[in-house]
Amino acid sequence: MAHLSLKSLTKVYPGNVTAVEAADLDVADGEFVVLVGPSGCGKSTMLRMIAGLERITSGTLKIDDKVVNDVEPGHRNIAMVFQNYALYPHMSVRRNMAYGLKNEGKPKAEIEARINEAAQMLRLTEYLDRKPRQLSGGQRQRVAMGRAIVRQPAVFLFDEPLSNLDAKLRTELRAELKALHDRLRGTFVYVTHDQVEAMSLADRIVVMNAGRIEQIGAPIALYSRPETRFVAEFIGSPAMNFVEGVLGEGGAVLVSEGREVLQFDRPIGLAGSGFVVGLRPEHMKPSKGGFARLRFRRVFDEQLGADTLIHGTLDSGPTRVILRVDGALHLPDAERLEVGVAREHLHLFDPKTGLRIDT
Amino acid sequence: MQKRVTFNTKTLPYLLVGPQIAVTLVFFFWPSWQALESALYIEDAFGLSRDFVGLRNFRDLLNDDVYLASFGVSFFFGIAVTFLTMALALALASAANRVLRAATAYRTMLIWPYAVAPALAGVIWYFLMNPSLGIASYWLDAVGVDWNHYVNGDQALLLVIIAASWKQISYNFLFFLAGLQSIPQSLIEAAAIDRAGPMRRFWTIIFPLLTPTTFFLLVVNLVYAFFDTFSLIHATTQGGPANATSTLVVKVYQTGFVGQDYGSSAAQSVILMAIVIAMTFVQFRYIDRRVNY
Ligand SMILES: Nc1ncnc2c1ncn2[C@@H]1O[C@H](COP(=O)(O)OP(=O)(O)OP(=O)(O)O)[C@@H](O)[C@H]1O
Ligand SMILES: [Mg+2]
Repeated sequence: MAHLSLKSLTKVYPGNVTAVEAADLDVADGEFVVLVGPSGCGKSTMLRMIAGLERITSGTLKIDDKVVNDVEPGHRNIAMVFQNYALYPHMSVRRNMAYGLKNEGKPKAEIEARINEAAQMLRLTEYLDRKPRQLSGGQRQRVAMGRAIVRQPAVFLFDEPLSNLDAKLRTELRAELKALHDRLRGTFVYVTHDQVEAMSLADRIVVMNAGRIEQIGAPIALYSRPETRFVAEFIGSPAMNFVEGVLGEGGAVLVSEGREVLQFDRPIGLAGSGFVVGLRPEHMKPSKGGFARLRFRRVFDEQLGADTLIHGTLDSGPTRVILRVDGALHLPDAERLEVGVAREHLHLFDPKTGLRIDT
Repeated sequence: MQKRVTFNTKTLPYLLVGPQIAVTLVFFFWPSWQALESALYIEDAFGLSRDFVGLRNFRDLLNDDVYLASFGVSFFFGIAVTFLTMALALALASAANRVLRAATAYRTMLIWPYAVAPALAGVIWYFLMNPSLGIASYWLDAVGVDWNHYVNGDQALLLVIIAASWKQISYNFLFFLAGLQSIPQSLIEAAAIDRAGPMRRFWTIIFPLLTPTTFFLLVVNLVYAFFDTFSLIHATTQGGPANATSTLVVKVYQTGFVGQDYGSSAAQSVILMAIVIAMTFVQFRYIDRRVNY
């Protein structure tokens, strides 16, 4: 068990590619932290710096208050699960799991005991003598987890471990992973680009964008109070709708290119200044009431069973908007809808900096 | 799924393989048959008459100490060349694999020796190591080694081993490099996290995963050393001094063209043929099972 501390951690690849820029992060003992962000934002680089697979350009990395910048991966007391499993193809499942322990010089009996325990935990007992190529994708990924577990590391690192699996298996293994964390109480750092995975697994989520950390917080905090427009757009599916404009009539309406796009019950913010208003699809109610109201032009419906997604645009312009309504809800067959949003579900951002504005 | 081309006419396939079969018949089966036949005769030096002697040529060979010694030289030579070549090629390939991506120039340079004709390679080493002219023997002299492969049989053997290996390293290098590059980087990283140092990673992960390549090269190098080094040895030491570098192929030449004993020479080539067939058999037999994972 260990805590992890990153102080202004930076990675510059040859050719002056800054992959991670001055990242600060503290991971508490036993915490499940998920790094999430779009492709190329530096998640893997950050994880690989923690693992010791990538040299740290500047900043300090501490595991349990010990600076480990220059410690070999094998001596950092970490274990890692790779996206492509990285199982040793010429070794049986048993030998794959034993490899690290043998290298540590653990006695045979203990190795045996740890493997059996992990195999039981991961339902791998009957596959112990198979080679990796004789296993399914899900089983291989469990072996990779087993190989990490037997080492009893202070920190577990995962780099998109589920992304090579099909959707159903991914959901299954996600639940297993969560259970595993509850059972081991280990410190987990987990990389994914799938925000649903991040939401469901994390104690805290770290949202990254272009090498920088955008926001760190509990899943629900990121969802209900995104600090930047980027986070607002990234967390939640379908993504948040954004309506851009200038406040008019003393702050009671939002105007874009001379046309009213949003009306408010009471004036908000400062009249005359530009805003980006964020509205989550699930918070937009097709009704005349609500603190903020807009007119919506419906293009097509997408019925998903539990929910229905209604795709369309603002009536006043081309801005695309998606509503998410209860699948059982019967809507009139009209092309234009009145949509209302409650006060607490409005998110305001500065159009230039993208930062959240509280009113 | 394999795509198969189907022919409409019956003759076209035969026409297509015809030239290949003809070449094989004329340049392989016919000489082989001739060798098999001659091996059963003893011919006089002028080729005017010959007597059928059955297996006597073979019996004589097996009782001939010089021939048996040449077996020994061949095996030592073959194993030494194979080992030296593979060890150096693997070391070079591992080094190249580390710095790769940018280092194509390095790779190209290492491939050059392979493009050198065998006889020419022999001549290069002949000049390098020539006791009176050679720069390398001059350097050796400077560090206190008295180099004269015209007199010293061990040195002569060492010379042809080095020359033959030098020529074959680039070929091995290419295969090892390709093999190394096909090992996913994440396996090495996983091993590093599993607390395996570079040496341990090499012997427990990389080397086992290279087994298919290693096995293939093992056979190729043995065949090369046994059968493909004649012109190199001929240009460098001519099999001497005192038969110290006279491998089986060189011996065939010496017996036949120098000693003019065609019957014995033919018998020797039949024995060589048997060895090639055995080696090819081993290779085909295990080629499917090469993969060990
Ligand atoms: N070895 C390298 N040399 C140079 N640039 C690199 C190297 N590895 C990664 N990068 C660059 O660093 C940035 C971050 O890469 P990284 O692999 O960390 O992204 P990621 O967030 O893991 O993306 P993904 O979700 O696609 O895996 C990218 O712009 C990438 O091109
Ligand atoms: Mg990545």
